[in-house]
Amino acid sequence: MILKKIFRLLFPLSLSVGILFLAQRLLMPKYMGQVVEGAFIEEYYNEETSHDILFLGDCEVYENISPIVLWRDYGITSYIRGSAQQLVPQSYYLLEDTLKFETPKAVVFNVSAMQQYEQENETYNRMTLDGMRWSGSKVKAIKETMTEEEHMIEYVFPILRFHSRWRELENDDLRYLFKRRQVTHNGYYMRADVRPAGEFPVARRRSDYSFDPKAWEYLEKIRMLCEEHGTLLILMKAPSLYPVWYDQWEQQIKDYAKEHQLEYINCIERSDEIGIDFSKDTYDGGLHMNVYGAEKMSRYFGEFLVGISGVEDRRTIAGEDVQNRVWKEKCEFYDQMKAAQEAEFARLGYLKQFTSEEEGGNLYEKTR
Amino acid sequence: MLLVSYDFVAFLFLLLVVYYLIPRRFQWICLLAASYLFYGWGGAFYLLYPVFTTMSTWFLAARIGRLTQQSREKSLPRQQVKKSQRRLLILGLVVNFGILAALKYFNFVVDNVNELLGAAGVLREFSHVNWLFPLGISYYTFQAMGYLIDVYYRKYEPERSLPKLALFVSFFPQMVTGPMTRFDQMRQELFTPHCYDFTNIKQGFRRILWGYFKKLVVADRLGPAILMIVSCPETYDGIYVLLGMVGYAIWMYADFAGGMDIVLGAARLFGIRLPENFEQPFFSKSLAEFWRRWHITLMTWLREYVFFPMAGSRLSRRLAKLMGRKAPVYIASVTVWLIAGIWHGASWNFVAWGMANCLVMLISQELTGLYRSFHQKFRFSNGKGYGYFQIMRTFMLFCCLEMFEYYPFEGVFKMLGSFLSSGSVRQLWDGRFGTLGFCLADLVVLAGGILLIFLADIFQRTGKLGEKLDRQPGVLQYTVVFGLFILVLITGVYGHGYDASQFIYNQF
Repeated sequence: MILKKIFRLLFPLSLSVGILFLAQRLLMPKYMGQVVEGAFIEEYYNEETSHDILFLGDCEVYENISPIVLWRDYGITSYIRGSAQQLVPQSYYLLEDTLKFETPKAVVFNVSAMQQYEQENETYNRMTLDGMRWSGSKVKAIKETMTEEEHMIEYVFPILRFHSRWRELENDDLRYLFKRRQVTHNGYYMRADVRPAGEFPVARRRSDYSFDPKAWEYLEKIRMLCEEHGTLLILMKAPSLYPVWYDQWEQQIKDYAKEHQLEYINCIERSDEIGIDFSKDTYDGGLHMNVYGAEKMSRYFGEFLVGISGVEDRRTIAGEDVQNRVWKEKCEFYDQMKAAQEAEFARLGYLKQFTSEEEGGNLYEKTR
Repeated sequence: MLLVSYDFVAFLFLLLVVYYLIPRRFQWICLLAASYLFYGWGGAFYLLYPVFTTMSTWFLAARIGRLTQQSREKSLPRQQVKKSQRRLLILGLVVNFGILAALKYFNFVVDNVNELLGAAGVLREFSHVNWLFPLGISYYTFQAMGYLIDVYYRKYEPERSLPKLALFVSFFPQMVTGPMTRFDQMRQELFTPHCYDFTNIKQGFRRILWGYFKKLVVADRLGPAILMIVSCPETYDGIYVLLGMVGYAIWMYADFAGGMDIVLGAARLFGIRLPENFEQPFFSKSLAEFWRRWHITLMTWLREYVFFPMAGSRLSRRLAKLMGRKAPVYIASVTVWLIAGIWHGASWNFVAWGMANCLVMLISQELTGLYRSFHQKFRFSNGKGYGYFQIMRTFMLFCCLEMFEYYPFEGVFKMLGSFLSSGSVRQLWDGRFGTLGFCLADLVVLAGGILLIFLADIFQRTGKLGEKLDRQPGVLQYTVVFGLFILVLITGVYGHGYDASQFIYNQF
């Protein structure tokens, strides 16, 4: 009798929860089409092996560094935890989150995010934060960076945020209801198309060049956390021509690095040394590197890393069979996607997936 | 705190837990604290208004009560008591309605004075004052003044406890959007301890959900398009005038009745039953009947505290002798509709709307004899078909009168003329409909939502829909509620990118 009562209560309840869960999965954006950036952060949790280097930052990291090249050329295992317009506090909490799973030898933080201390558009917040696994770090990251119009409850139950997507559901929403395909290569976003750098607007004078205290506070937190875990912190500025990286900003970072004896490498200044050809190595007119630029950048940066962080060449260490197998698969996926993109670009002059709403993802399919 | 906000849902849930956990004798105190928290959510400053209204009303009612007592004990002459009581009543009415008038109508008066001065060639212009306008001030002021008048007329004894009167004035679900209640009606409900009863929770939750459905799925989806139509008459003429009229009526109903469902449902969760404010008004067969079924508690308040005292006063009797038997009724009707109009908003539009309603009803009243002989002569007028015609006629009449709310006075006739002379269904395909911001999916949801509200109202005519549902098997009840929840959750217009809009009637 009691069992029957419990069943009568629990059955509809669990059925309702199930329906709500399904509705939520269905309505949440899958980031498998033209915009894939929202899928980056979540991919980290599928990693089977640990990493020696962790990259943190915004698009200047996930489009300019290729962990596959770092592995192939130097045997460095690395991962990029970066997302579009990722704020410094978000990078900090992603570091905190990562440190629960592994302790990298070095953390490379791209300093371009220092110029932006709050999100102009909540979409970017969702791209970074929705992918994070639930933990204290995620809660703090949300609290610290959500915009005024956002609510914590909408992160806990994303259906409250994305409910209105019922009008724009596509095949992808059903296709990737439970499993999404992998879109990055250890956090690296590959683009094999080419668009030479063009003219940029003249750099505007600013009344104040100082970074926001909140950005400084979280950079300091990143430094302290690295110190606590015995991890080397390296500051980097990726070789992007635009948005402008002002000399005054550069000086502030240099001073900070000097004060805390941190390594800082500004790759804009070294773009000739790296060998970047802005007529071939960028896919969006000089804002971000394409795969060719990212590979050059990674080769250069790998050498720099080996020099200062003392990372070992994992390829030659005995007993790393799992690691070698995993990286072999990663390399294959990387080559396959690169070849597919190159072929498509040669054929069409553009990449379908990124220039229209058309689904071109099946060319480089790999289900997570 | 908005009734359509995550804060409110969380607040309601937490309050519910606390309410049923604490000793029952403290339940009303818990509700009072919650009511002030609810009202002061946007800033503690706003609490000053209801606190002042409560305190002044309590003090004056207590004084009036004491004088009554003294009159009964014959320690004071009856005439003197009556005079003193009247003074106290007038003081209370002037002070409280004065605050309401200052906050709500000051700028309206300034505009009119400036216009008059301008017309007279005086260059002096008075400037607006931007008051902090507390939500629902009309509701709690009317309610508190109703209590003061009742005490004056000795309908019941004044409440001795200031906190209890404070709860009556500020009970959170009804404070910002009504319904207006009478103290004797609410005393039992508010201050009697309530045991936990699952039926109350179930019915309350269901009612809230139904309110959210009306508000979020229908009203807030329809609202922006209707506002666009009525605010750009030069663009949206012809058939769009009809679309605006009908849409405006449905929008108002879904918004206001939806809000009322949330209020009644929220009160029900605490075991408190508030009076209904709507009784399927769109099924009324005459305008007078319509106004007995739409915003019932306001119309009741006006009838009880304005119409009857005015129509039955000594002055009215004198007027009747001078101007005829019907004069007091006419004067009282005009006053009631003038107040009803100006209550809805500080603008001549609302005054015109009130007067137009009054005019139609007085004419109908004058033609009662004619109608009667018509019905006797033509049998068909007693049939069902004629009943449907009357319902449609009343609905369209209401829609037409609503035009005074959103078009300027002369614009009403111009737009009606535009519809009658050039309105054509084909205009719906001339591209203007596309500018209203609807996609096909929205239209389907909207049509479905309106149909559902209409069907619910039909069922409601033959008894309470909720009670009917309660008699169904548990599985069916649960499926209906869960289905409604999913509908609101997914198709509701809320969340990011949506400006959590007030209920239209909050601003009154």
